[in-house]
Amino acid sequence: MALFGKGSKGIAAVDVPPAMDAERAARLGYTHDNKLSKHAFMEGEHPVVRIEHLNKTFDGQTQVLRDVNLNVWNGEIVVVLGPSGSGKSTMLRCINLLETPTAGHILIEDEEITGRKPKDVALIRRELGMVFQGFNLFPHLTALENVMIGQTKVLKKSKEEARAEAVKQLTAVGLADRMDYKPPQLSGGQQQRVAIARAVAMHPKVLLFDEPTSALDPELVRDVLNVMKDLALHGDMTMIVVTHEMGFARDVADRVVFMEGGVVVEQGLPEDVFDRPKNVRTAQFLGSIE
Amino acid sequence: MSRFRRGHVVARSCLFVALLLAAALLMPSEAYALTTNKATARPNENGGSNVIGGLATRLTWEGTVEDGESVSSVTLVLPEGGTFAGSSTKITALDGLDRAAVDGFATANDNQLVVVFSQPVDEGLLIRLEVEGMAFPSEGGDVVVSGTYENASGTQQLADSKPISTIANTSLQMLVATLDEMEAVQAWNSNPFLGMFFKPQLLVTAFSSLLPGWLLCLVIVVVAYPFAIALGLVFAFMKISRHRLVRAIAIVYINVLRGTPLFLQIYIMFFGLPMMNVNIDNNVLGVIVIAINASAYLAEIFRAGIQSIPQGQYEAASSLGMSYFQTMFNIILPQTIRRVIPTVTSDFITSYKDTSLLSSVGVMELMMFAKNLTSVSGNMTPYVAAAIFYLIVTLPLIKVVTYIENRMAHAERGGGPRPKAGERSAVEEAASDDLAAAELSTHFEGLGEGQLAPVPVFARMAQEV
Repeated sequence: MALFGKGSKGIAAVDVPPAMDAERAARLGYTHDNKLSKHAFMEGEHPVVRIEHLNKTFDGQTQVLRDVNLNVWNGEIVVVLGPSGSGKSTMLRCINLLETPTAGHILIEDEEITGRKPKDVALIRRELGMVFQGFNLFPHLTALENVMIGQTKVLKKSKEEARAEAVKQLTAVGLADRMDYKPPQLSGGQQQRVAIARAVAMHPKVLLFDEPTSALDPELVRDVLNVMKDLALHGDMTMIVVTHEMGFARDVADRVVFMEGGVVVEQGLPEDVFDRPKNVRTAQFLGSIE
Repeated sequence: MSRFRRGHVVARSCLFVALLLAAALLMPSEAYALTTNKATARPNENGGSNVIGGLATRLTWEGTVEDGESVSSVTLVLPEGGTFAGSSTKITALDGLDRAAVDGFATANDNQLVVVFSQPVDEGLLIRLEVEGMAFPSEGGDVVVSGTYENASGTQQLADSKPISTIANTSLQMLVATLDEMEAVQAWNSNPFLGMFFKPQLLVTAFSSLLPGWLLCLVIVVVAYPFAIALGLVFAFMKISRHRLVRAIAIVYINVLRGTPLFLQIYIMFFGLPMMNVNIDNNVLGVIVIAINASAYLAEIFRAGIQSIPQGQYEAASSLGMSYFQTMFNIILPQTIRRVIPTVTSDFITSYKDTSLLSSVGVMELMMFAKNLTSVSGNMTPYVAAAIFYLIVTLPLIKVVTYIENRMAHAERGGGPRPKAGERSAVEEAASDDLAAAELSTHFEGLGEGQLAPVPVFARMAQEV
């Protein structure tokens, strides 16, 4: 909650050009991305998420993101890798407007979402699902209610519709028998799967995963990754996944983005990035990880 | 009193006297040979200034033998339920101030007392009958002593006495009377400490006479509290508002009310408002003062409760697309309420006890009654009774607070029913031992500190309770 007004006015504004025209952006994006992603591009397709010259500075001094540019296409699975403090989580949170960008543009289906009124922000956010590192389930609600509440309160669905959808999504993540449990009664892995069901039940245009397995016990990671894999391979969901799970990135990603120091250092097909990294830092990072 | 009203009273008294005179003149003075002068009863020992029915007391009856008459016997009759059984009667006859030699004997016969004089009582003498150990009807009310007398010309009707006002005897007064006579009680009371603080008779009396005060305490706090909660929520939201002025108003309100004694606030309201010609019923004003005072404490409790909800909850709610108000009412407040229930209950206890301060401004609550009874009896027992009345409410509530706190502490540690062993997958089964510990740390890392550590405001409550 911003208690002291919005934004940070004291920062020397970073000069960024205005957002690109939609057609031009789509054309340029296609030229740039089609070699880097397994995504099946279609004739005249526009990216669903467009990040242009994104800059983010904390407290007027710590620059976390420097001129990040990224397109994400409808149905594409983008996995963002990078060391801690590289700005990948901040980028993800900017897409959801949980962080206010200092400069730059974020467009969802060619519509600028930066610098909007709180009322619009709420409307934009319902199109963007988010899965948090700390699950953030509502502890006073059961698993089922956690999945229902967004549908009933935000999408104004009837209780019956919402319940049916919630049951469907909880079953899909393998928790059909845990629907009436409250979060403290569930294991971390189960909680995170409920959180995924909660996000998916809103049928967002893009699902954002912020290190969804980092807070989990190693044994429980697999269940969550399987659910995500299932979503990626069998759904038509667009996903941006910030993670340290290399195996997941290699198996599931259409494109891997490597970030460091607030900059996108390298991006490309998973096998290219993992096996033939062009950037020294990428190679070092992957070497140190694997 | 205004001049008009004083005049009014004078006029009325004049009229009354005139009517009496008229009545006296017009009514053919009934030919009573024996005129009833008075009939009075002595208050009972435990009745304060009251004559209690059903308990032994003394009736004094006086009548004058008129000129040219003589009276040979007098029969006093009590209404149904009154009794002369077991009484002893002292017969006196007065000639002016001199005692006349009159003898006789009294025979008690249920509600009749027949007094036969050895020789007829002569004209001009005043007959006084003091009947010790008689009892009025238990149900109380205005009792008229009637009867008959005998003169030379036979049995005559006696003029009714003026009514004697008596109060009903209750099982309580019976109990007190019984206690009075018990040797164990007398032995108990002979101990200075026990007799001063725990006198059984007074304890019994105090319980019944403090009851209305206790009920008023409860009514005041129970009526005041919902208002206090509503006001407290409003000021809690004001205090976390993003508008500086709104915040400032809330801070001043909360700090002034929490920073000054309730006693002072009571004085200001109870003496200040009448001076401004705002006259509110004492009990209503009591409710208002208690509600306002409690609202400031509740505002702080709610604010702390709201702010103890981890940031992740706001983020999760807003990433579902909820507005600020949706987030507040569906996600934050339900969790806040659960968290603050023990603290709010403690605050309720405090407010309930604080109603005692209202006795200082004449609200007829528990302390007031206790004070009055103590000053009448010169014994501390009524205060002990008052303490018991307070504890009847506070002790169970303290118990409730402890219970909820323990349960919450348990739930927040991830307690509650875990899935049964048979229902778990092999992986979970294997992991379960490490799970609790590992999950705890990660879980709370994710949710923020508020979830794990007791909310700071609990500390205040712990001290108070």
